[in-house]
Amino acid sequence: MRWGAFLLLVLTAATGAARAQDAEEDLVTSLSSNTVSIQSNFTGTEIVIFGQAAPVNHQPDTPGGYELAIVVEGPPQDITTRRKGRFLGLWVNRDAERFQNVPSFYAVASTGNISELGSSRLLDELGIGLNHINLAVSGSSNVALSDRDDFRRAFVRLRREMGLYSEQPTDIRFLTDTMFRTNIPLPANIPVGDYEVKSFLFHDSELISRTEQTLQVAKIGFEQLSFELAQNYSLVYGIIAVALAIFTGWLAGVIFRKD
Amino acid sequence: MQLYLPIAEIPVNIFVIFGMGGAVGFLSGLFGIGGGFLLTPLLIFSGIPPAVSVATVTTQVVASSSSAVVTYWRRKAIDLKLATILLIGGVLGSLIGVILFQVLQSVGQLDLVISLSYVTFLGAIGGLMLFESVRAIRRRRSGATPKARKPGQHNWIHGLPLKVRFRRSKLYVSVIPVIGLGAIIGFLGTILGIGGGFMMVPALIYLLRVPTNIVIGTSLFQILFTMAAATIFHSMGTKTVDIVLAMTLMIGGVIGAQFGARMGQNLRGDQLRLLLALLVLGVGLRFAVDLLITPDDLYSIAIRKGAGA
Repeated sequence: MRWGAFLLLVLTAATGAARAQDAEEDLVTSLSSNTVSIQSNFTGTEIVIFGQAAPVNHQPDTPGGYELAIVVEGPPQDITTRRKGRFLGLWVNRDAERFQNVPSFYAVASTGNISELGSSRLLDELGIGLNHINLAVSGSSNVALSDRDDFRRAFVRLRREMGLYSEQPTDIRFLTDTMFRTNIPLPANIPVGDYEVKSFLFHDSELISRTEQTLQVAKIGFEQLSFELAQNYSLVYGIIAVALAIFTGWLAGVIFRKD
Repeated sequence: MQLYLPIAEIPVNIFVIFGMGGAVGFLSGLFGIGGGFLLTPLLIFSGIPPAVSVATVTTQVVASSSSAVVTYWRRKAIDLKLATILLIGGVLGSLIGVILFQVLQSVGQLDLVISLSYVTFLGAIGGLMLFESVRAIRRRRSGATPKARKPGQHNWIHGLPLKVRFRRSKLYVSVIPVIGLGAIIGFLGTILGIGGGFMMVPALIYLLRVPTNIVIGTSLFQILFTMAAATIFHSMGTKTVDIVLAMTLMIGGVIGAQFGARMGQNLRGDQLRLLLALLVLGVGLRFAVDLLITPDDLYSIAIRKGAGA
């Protein structure tokens, strides 16, 4: 086991060294913080991603320089999107589409228009841009094929309205010729879990380098305690809630006693 | 001041929530009601997820009823035997309620059932109360004395088997309607986030003929324990009881109730009932409007699995 790990390490180091010549170290990124803590006063925050892209050898016939895209993706969720329809004169949920393993949070920042970074196929493959994220639906969907796009659009629109999905083209700023930075806002309703921060360096519509980092969003202190208790020791949590309620009621009865 | 709710997973303005608890507490002190049927809709309309609103209000009802139960206990105005049998029904009803709640949540029809139930029950009870209070006010103006209740009056309920004697209430009735009544109130309370006092009190008076001096204490006692059970069932089943939200509501509620109770002493009973009837009808109407007018957004989303589910 340990020898296996060692061997793997040597191999990785060897291949890494070999590729470093051309691609791997063209892009270096760092996060302002590796963790986001949610406390009782949490009202949202932002993370700063900065990095350096080594100069790319410009071919004389290519007009542009390099382009960057940074994607922040939250832990996956299964989400049902429902559409209301009239039923006996009332507006009720009728059709539903379940999206599986979609990001709970998705933000992308880039140096330019996302569609100009690379081919549509490449962007689909890498999941860059709200039009290119993979929204897989469950097999047992009862939605007509012609309506599926409506559900996808509604899903992305609702997530955008909640601030959980966003696209910020031209939001990556260059500080020098090679140094860049961008701010990704994290709204107050972000789900907890492990986030991935993926940075992509494009040149001439080709991906030439990428980096990946993790960002942990976690509740801490009292918020974490009560959440853990509610999830894992729900009976204890329920009893505590009842005890607190009875105590509050009893205390009020004592304080405001009239007779 | 913004406060992050650990279970609802959204920040709320703590003063707004505190104020809502206080306002509903004031009305509950004024009318002598639990106020769950006002608080749950207020929370839903202000953007708290319906599941969290319903489950958390059950906890808040525990607090508001426990302070009143202490008072009635001291006055010995509780029929413990009757309350215990109601409670058996209440816990059963509450358990069924939590199970149905989860089923409805998974098929996406929870909000519809909550809305429809509010429209039905608040509409019916508000209408009856409005009718009754208007009649009482008219009668008072015309100077007629209300007819006294005839002793020994019986209805079909008194013909059922399994009769039990309730000494405190001077009653000899079957346990079937008692358990049934407890179960219905427990079931509705768990699904709708209400204590159900406004349904329990008339039912005890008109159906079982419990003396009025015993009714409120007994009803409160049963609501206290049914809602305590509902809180625990919700904690274990739907995991949507938000303890921070509940605490904020409770503190606002118990303070507001004191002011309400003081003001209520200066108003006539039939006027109070008329105001309460209008309030109940208003809330029911609000739900009806939402079901009938074309919604701004036909689409909605619900997290089913993974972070935040």
